[in-house]
Amino acid sequence: MECDNRLNVAANLDSLGAIGQFIKDAAECAGLDKRAAYNLRLAVDEIATNIVMHGYEEASLNGNIEVSKEIREDALIITLEDSGVAFDPRTMNMPTEEDLSVPLEDRAIGGLGIYLTVNGVDRFDYERVNNHNRNIFEVKRNTIN
Amino acid sequence: MAFTSDLKVEDSVAFITLTGELDASVAGQFKSIVEQAASAGPSKLVVYMDKLEFMASAGLRVLIFAKQKMGVGVSIYLIGCQELVKGTLEMSGFHQSVYMQDNYAEA
Repeated sequence: MECDNRLNVAANLDSLGAIGQFIKDAAECAGLDKRAAYNLRLAVDEIATNIVMHGYEEASLNGNIEVSKEIREDALIITLEDSGVAFDPRTMNMPTEEDLSVPLEDRAIGGLGIYLTVNGVDRFDYERVNNHNRNIFEVKRNTIN
Repeated sequence: MAFTSDLKVEDSVAFITLTGELDASVAGQFKSIVEQAASAGPSKLVVYMDKLEFMASAGLRVLIFAKQKMGVGVSIYLIGCQELVKGTLEMSGFHQSVYMQDNYAEA
């Protein structure tokens, strides 16, 4: 299967579908299993949603999100780069085990997205480079030696 | 695959059928159908999930909203969740608050 290395989309929620498709294709090219591919797609979707809503829309900014992939021998690396408001998702409060056992009627709404992101990939990182946000997702490949 | 949501109320049970991919771009549609369902004052909410292929946290938040809007007494049943969607629900601890079943049979 042929895979694009880059996708550039407008930073709005309607772009989530295209980003999802790019990630599904990248995961297939890298030979990830179904669960790893799904969890990566979910992680990227959550962070892309945050970028659109908090990085651009809340700040009344327009711009783009660039998605890129790199297939290394041992891992698939996905990077999201945007020029929205500087924001490191790793600083968000994540729900604890205790929070996650609270019944839904008493639940707080926040933090689930970043929780699913961090738990869905082998490494999640953030860098601020040249006034751009760069979110990095790494998933190990189970390559047969 | 495009997201669809559909509501039917029968004998005070609200049935919602979800298909496709549920991300933040369409979570508002799911939320408004939950609001419609809540306005019928149902005794139970049954959500058919078997054709739902993807669910982001935006979908989880609508389920929290449903529980808080309809009240503790209205049990939520999620029917036929696909394995990977079920994984997200379990990781988020939702399986402790809703009934996850393969089929819905009138109790």
